[in-house]
Amino acid sequence: MRRLDELSPGEEGRIQRVSAPKGLLRRLFALGLRPGARVRLLRRAPLGDPLEVRVGESFVALRKHEAAGVVLEDER
Amino acid sequence: MSARRVALLGNPNTGKSTLINALAGAQLQVGNWPGTTVERLLAREGERTYVDLPGAYSLLATTPEEKIAVRSLLEDPPEVLLVVLDAGNLERSLPLLLEAGELGLPTVVALNLMDEARAKGYRLDPGALEAELGVPVVPVVASRGEGIKALKAALDRAAVPRSSLAYPPALERALRAIEAHLEGPARRARAALLLAGEDLPAPEEAREAARFARAALFELGLDPYLELTGAVFARARELFKRALKGHNPRPTLTDRIDRLVLHPVLGPVLFFLGMLFVFRFTFLFSAPWVTFIGRVQEVLAGWTQALPLPPLLASFFTGALVAGVGTVLAFTPVLFFLYLAMGFLETSGFLARSAFLTDRLMHAVGLSGRAFIPLVLGFGCNVPAIYATRTLESFGERLKTALAIPFMACSARLPVFALFAAVFFPERATYVVFGLYLLGLFFGLFTAWLVGKVAQTEPASGVMELPPYRWPPLRVLLAQARVRTRDFVQGATGPILIAMVLIWALLHLPPGPLEESLYARVAQTLSILFEPLGFSDWRLVGALIPGFVAKEVVVGALAVSFLGAEPAAGLGLLAGLHDLALAFLAALKETFGALFALFGLPRLGLEAGGSAPALAAPLSQVLTPRGALGYLVFVLLYTPCVATLAALAQELGRRWAAFSVAYQLTVAYLAALLASRLLP
Repeated sequence: MRRLDELSPGEEGRIQRVSAPKGLLRRLFALGLRPGARVRLLRRAPLGDPLEVRVGESFVALRKHEAAGVVLEDER
Repeated sequence: MSARRVALLGNPNTGKSTLINALAGAQLQVGNWPGTTVERLLAREGERTYVDLPGAYSLLATTPEEKIAVRSLLEDPPEVLLVVLDAGNLERSLPLLLEAGELGLPTVVALNLMDEARAKGYRLDPGALEAELGVPVVPVVASRGEGIKALKAALDRAAVPRSSLAYPPALERALRAIEAHLEGPARRARAALLLAGEDLPAPEEAREAARFARAALFELGLDPYLELTGAVFARARELFKRALKGHNPRPTLTDRIDRLVLHPVLGPVLFFLGMLFVFRFTFLFSAPWVTFIGRVQEVLAGWTQALPLPPLLASFFTGALVAGVGTVLAFTPVLFFLYLAMGFLETSGFLARSAFLTDRLMHAVGLSGRAFIPLVLGFGCNVPAIYATRTLESFGERLKTALAIPFMACSARLPVFALFAAVFFPERATYVVFGLYLLGLFFGLFTAWLVGKVAQTEPASGVMELPPYRWPPLRVLLAQARVRTRDFVQGATGPILIAMVLIWALLHLPPGPLEESLYARVAQTLSILFEPLGFSDWRLVGALIPGFVAKEVVVGALAVSFLGAEPAAGLGLLAGLHDLALAFLAALKETFGALFALFGLPRLGLEAGGSAPALAAPLSQVLTPRGALGYLVFVLLYTPCVATLAALAQELGRRWAAFSVAYQLTVAYLAALLASRLLP
């Protein structure tokens, strides 16, 4: 089980579930970060946090601890 | 029949303001949503009015903007709803359309940004969407005016979208149960909002039914929010597949720019240069007009002197009224150009990148990256910086940032710094001034941190979209900058005039020499307080009082009290007009010159111009370097100017504005006390 904040730049995965407080969850969903979506980590900010991810055609910035709630499916 | 009220609804960054500009840009009005600080664009064309709703991802609102959009749609439904989709990000923009479809309003869809969709390699079929939804779908490139005619024609064919959301049976039953207690339009949409747990005006029976249904669903292991949005997303995906005719993924310009702008090393460097450019832009273009307004003031004063008026009245005219209006006007060029720059940063996509780059840094003091640009703008002028806090998400975040901004050494404080640094620290003037800037920054960040700790504000979320880079429509930028500047003039003229009249009265009553005026007496009384800070000459203390109106006035006030006022010479009408014409031409010429200077190398170094050389001797007689340092630190920190206070009162309320004065006086006093102990 991998979390979104554990990906390296360039890696991607499919979202299995998102656990976050209500407001954050809704925002993540609205931006496309919801179960079933493929997400790719593009880069980390110069100081390591926040992260930029790509989901569909959206580019989304989120902090590490926020990305930690996004759990990815196992892939092999 | 022709629709009269058309509301534009769409995700943030789908080009709604560009579209409204393309539809009826000549009649563009910028205002606010009633009772809020969220900006509203409105445009008229004949009988028809276009309103731009705040950007929303969903009607299940999480941001203040989304709440405003939902309220407006429910309480004041438009005759036609124009849903703006991002063709280059279609799957993401469809859910809002589907949610809005439940409102039962006549709808038209603008499939905007078709050019970006093509650039990303998408081939789309608007006809397929039209057939599925049952409403007109018009492909548009708003920035180039493509498809606008067809869109306007389609507004007359607006239709209520076909409902096509398939909810699970349990959810469908719950919706019907709530709907039964609702009346009027948009029953289904309101039922869905209630079921998702939203708070909106509804009869008590409907609320009760919603509570009951929610509890029942949770018991079945169903989260109403997840189920509702799940149905919406599933349908959005289906629609997207129908509309998609092919996709050859291609890297876009945004990908390439971001590789540089967000680069770990290059990014911060480019960013620093970019901010430098913004400031040079602002000051190169505004400086000629500030000079021109100063000249207007002098000419008006000259005319007043030539009038047959009693001296006290003439002095009131020039010293209070003309000077007051002049102070307000002197702000406007700086504000206008800073607003222009800010609008550009905001709509071009750079603001979001700056937030991304600085978020970690700002997080250290409990702020989010979005607070960075407002703070930095504070170095230009505190007033637009405080208005810029509107882009922040929560009141707590705005409070922290707005209270920190007045500590940023705005450009008006530089003349004071330059004068004292040149006189008392000639060898190290640049370091002293630089140190003062850092000190201001330190206290600003400290304040933000402290307020966050005391008020226990939750840190704002770091989740935000990094929109594609786009050229903002110049006409919209100009209209926004004009209206924001006008708002400042309306809000600050009163307070500034009152302050100027009070200061004039202090200086000139009772009539006679300055040493016997109220001003001198007040300053003398206060000077005891400043003894420990190393300066107690009444003229130094006194200059702090007019400095409250605008910090740069401190130097002028010192010149008047040390060197005596230069009597304004009378000026004939024609000579005055001639002067004004020359000054206007000079300002125009300099503005054009600024176009070239903008790309030249910045001049470094300080200039203590004007009355500075003459002030050096009298100042060194009454002040030691120790006292000068205390004075500088005090001037840096002591209070927001009246214009900034007006902005604080407007954004945070009067109590917080009053708090900031008391707080800053305290901080300034303690810091100056400490600073004056640093030197022997």
